[in-house]
This record gives sequence, structure tokens and C-alpha cells, in this order.
Amino acid sequence: MKKILFLLLAGTLFTGCASTRRGPESGAAVGGTKGSATAADGKAIVSKDDDLNEYAASTIADPLEPVNRATFWFNHQLYTFLLRPVSKTYETIIPKPLRKGIYNVFDNAEFPVRFVNDLLQGKVDRAGQETGKFAVNSVLGVGGLFKQSDKFPALAHVPKGSTGQTFAKWGIDHGCYIVLPVIGPSSVRDTVGLAGDYVLNPILWIGMAWGIPAWTIPVSAADTLCVLPEKFEQYDAATKTSLDRYLSLRSSYAQYRKEAAKK
Amino acid sequence: MKTRLIALALAAVLAGTLHASTADAEARLRTAVNEVLVAAQRSTTSRELPDRIGPILLRNISFETMTRRAVGPGWRGFTDDQKRQAIKLFGSLIVRTYCDKITPGEFPDIKFKPAATPAPGRVEVPTRLTYQGSTYAVTYRLEEDDGWKITDVMIEGVSMVANYRTQFDAIFKKNGPGGILGALEKQETKKR
Repeated sequence: MKKILFLLLAGTLFTGCASTRRGPESGAAVGGTKGSATAADGKAIVSKDDDLNEYAASTIADPLEPVNRATFWFNHQLYTFLLRPVSKTYETIIPKPLRKGIYNVFDNAEFPVRFVNDLLQGKVDRAGQETGKFAVNSVLGVGGLFKQSDKFPALAHVPKGSTGQTFAKWGIDHGCYIVLPVIGPSSVRDTVGLAGDYVLNPILWIGMAWGIPAWTIPVSAADTLCVLPEKFEQYDAATKTSLDRYLSLRSSYAQYRKEAAKK
Repeated sequence: MKTRLIALALAAVLAGTLHASTADAEARLRTAVNEVLVAAQRSTTSRELPDRIGPILLRNISFETMTRRAVGPGWRGFTDDQKRQAIKLFGSLIVRTYCDKITPGEFPDIKFKPAATPAPGRVEVPTRLTYQGSTYAVTYRLEEDDGWKITDVMIEGVSMVANYRTQFDAIFKKNGPGGILGALEKQETKKR
């Protein structure tokens, strides 16, 4: 009984604090405790500075920054003068539904990448969902052309597994930040992960199986082409209103990967 | 027994108030998002977006909190004038960044998911935004300080404030408050 009383007391004290902090009517009290100048003039700009470290400045180590910046500059020129025009042309020539279809075919064919990584991460349910998606899209979606699986709530919005994500789950650290030529932001972990994804990609196997490894070149090119518009959208989102393109993209990359590893 | 009952009653009241404040924050966000959507739909060119959407954002976003946190501990080295200037410039940058993600006349589908309360006076509302066949996870953070205000937007886990924090930090280390204001001014002139 005493224990309950104590808890109750502690509870009221705590919530008492909390509600003074929350209550809009006690705004002055809050201001007082924080030493803020939130007064009648409404210019509360000044002295509230207890939350300045709310966000960490950087979430990924970048000892190679000078080299990375050089590669980044090279990539930016490559994008601006070659890849972006290619992407724009692709967007103009191929109508959106067909582009989506081509994208879907590749996405569907890359099922083993996600399936194997889900299993390696112990996500058996998700591997099952991926199998379901693959079956539905291959059969009902005519070889993956139409993404029919989104019509089934159980198969919609399945986070994509990748080898880099598997490494993250296994507790392997990012390592430092690397800007890869052409591809762009990566880390030591994700660069190795890319190799893993590549090996798991059936596009590679088929070329090998048919004894024509060169087959992979045009197909990989098509695979890359169909994701270009989306990639540029992401690139622009991170760089267009930035103060330092390089740092903005690095921060976006680090945060995005951190979030993906949680899924 | 009696104390237990009181405890239960108190817990219920507490849950009620907690719930109410989360609901307030969610309601505030829904209204704001709707206003933005309506404004975007009424616009015909990207040019008029900032003028239409800016005032809505001004009412619903705490530019001051965002600026302070994006700058970080260096904020203490700003004079009051510099702070005001930084908030004004960064606020305008936030408006432009936000408008940049909106196509006039388009109507994205936004689904609100259950809010989380990571700390008292702080609510995070995850949403799923579907737009031209692509889906994005957008989470809004709201904080209570003289009413609920948005203090961060996270798109696919990428926080707007954290992103600028990395950039400001590097500029501040090199050139102090003046460097940050200069970079913001340069961005501002780039828009035209």
C-alpha cells in the first residue's frame, strides 16, 4: 500500500511538473524556468538556449573529405552535362506509365536481393512478404510490369532489404563516408554491400548462365536509366536549397541510411 | 483500496489530458497541412507558392526554434540583431525548401498515422504522402510553446534541421555568425 502511495505521490509530482511545462496558460512560468525573455513584447528570440545541442552536427565520419569533395565535384559535372540530359531525354521519349512499368520489371527481378537479405537479417515474415509480392507481380502483373502487389494491404509498403542494411543489422559500423564516382554517396559498409547486392542480382546470373556476360551491360544500363529520374529528384531535394551541397547530401545520406537500418 | 481507486482516477485524468494535448497538436497539424494543400491547389505557377504558403507556414512553424537548433551552440555567439536576421533568412529558406517540394495544382494524398509522444510537450506525427505514384514517409515534430508549433519535418528519416545543422556547423567554425548570415544571404539571392 505504501508503495502505491509513494508511486502516486511521485506520479503527481512528476505530472505536475510536466503539466506546468505543457500548459499553455503557464507560459510565463515556463519562460521563467528557462530564463527566457518571453515577455509582453513577444520578441522571444534571445536567451532560450538549453536545446542548442538537440541535433548532432554530423552523423558520419568523413576523414576523406578532400578526396570526397573532389569526386563529388566530378559527379556533379557528370550529372549536369551528361546524365541529367540523358535522364530528361528518357523522360520525354518514354511516357510515364511505361517508365513505371520498366522500373517495376527490374524491381521485381531484383527480388532475390531483398529476399536473401531479409533472411540474413532474420526477418522471416518480410522474406515471406517479398515472396508473395514476387509471385503476385510476376503472375498477375505480367512479369512484374504492373505492380499488383500494392493492391494487397499485406504486401504494400514492404521496406526493401539490402546487403548494406544486413551489415548494419549485424552491428557493422558505417565506416567512413565515401563518395563513389558516378554512384555518389556511400560508406565503406554500403560499398561492400553494393557488391553483395550486385552478386545477388539475377541480371548478373542470367548473363553468366547464357554464357554471354556482356549481356549484363545493356541490361544494367537500362536498369540504371529507369531509376535516373527518381535519383535526380532525390539529389535535387538534398542540394537545391542547401548552403553547402556536399555537406547537405552527406547529412541526408547518413540520416537516410540510419533510418533504413531501423526498418 | 481507496488509494488504488484514486490512483486509477488520477491515471485516467492524466491519460485524458495527455491525450487531449496530443490531439491538439494533431488537429493543428491537420489544419496546417490542409491549408497548404488548398493554397497549392489554387496556385498556377511555382512562383506564387511562397507568397501563398509562406504566411501559413509562419503561423504554424517555429522558425525561431528551428534556426536556433540548426545553428547549435554557436547561437550564443550571435548578437540579438544577428539572431533576428538569421531567423528571418532561415525562415525564408525553410519556406522555399518547403515550396520546392510542392507542384502547383497537384493534390497529394496524405494519410496521418497515430502520433507518438517522445517527451512531454513534444509530439511526432508520422504521415504517408503519396504523390504521382511514389510514397514518402513524412514525420512532423510539434512542440508546445505558446501553442503547438512545427519544429522539424523529417522526410524518409532525413530531418530538415539536422541537415542544416551539419552545414551551419562547418560554416560557423570557419567564419562565425557572419559566415552563416552571409551564406544565407547568398542562398536568398540565388532564388531569383
